[in-house]
Amino acid sequence: MFPILMRLKIRSEGKRGVSLWLPVFLAWIILWAFMLVLLPFVLLAALLSLGRGPGMSLLAVYPLLFSLLWNLSDLHIETRDAENDVLISFL
Amino acid sequence: MNEEHRKILEMLKDGKISVDDAERLMTAVGEPEAEASSSPAGKPGWKYLRVQVEPGPGSESQDKVNIRVPFKLIRAGLKFAALIPKASQGKVNEALKEKGIDIDLSKITAEDLQDIIANLDDMTVEVDGQDKVRIFCE
Repeated sequence: MFPILMRLKIRSEGKRGVSLWLPVFLAWIILWAFMLVLLPFVLLAALLSLGRGPGMSLLAVYPLLFSLLWNLSDLHIETRDAENDVLISFL
Repeated sequence: MNEEHRKILEMLKDGKISVDDAERLMTAVGEPEAEASSSPAGKPGWKYLRVQVEPGPGSESQDKVNIRVPFKLIRAGLKFAALIPKASQGKVNEALKEKGIDIDLSKITAEDLQDIIANLDDMTVEVDGQDKVRIFCE
């Protein structure tokens, strides 16, 4: 499923750290609304360039982007050294 | 232990079959767990690729890395990367080569990835005896 929240934690020694829970589902809503608006133009461009350009690739962007975002949940990246601490996690 | 093995053992216990018969039946039924673990298609339960970097015993650094990437995300990413126009792919490959990564992402297929997963049981790499890098599936 689409990740609903993103946890972002950044800490640096001697500085005030940031720890946020970002509601990324709002970003998906905006993104899909934007892509829906673009869809007629993408379809037109795909039809015009079919056979001699990126026609099919343009059409494939939608399902592939959907698949990419759908599988983003459970991604967890955490790095730490003596001075910095970064955590990015999708839930 | 699956249902067939249990039945064979029960028949052996009740004296309905001999030890030799039980052995033959066990062989005929097979050992699904062993077959599954040696399957070239990999272990179906694996969902994530994990990369862990921890300071080794002789290391003074406190660097730690803990990454968990869903396999489905890697597959989706590879498919998405295939959409990059060929002219740009060359630039991406050159940039990767400069960083010491000499691979063509567009040529990696889902089957290649499956092979990598199947053979990536539990790999531990120790870098100069300082950092311990562990790459495994879970």
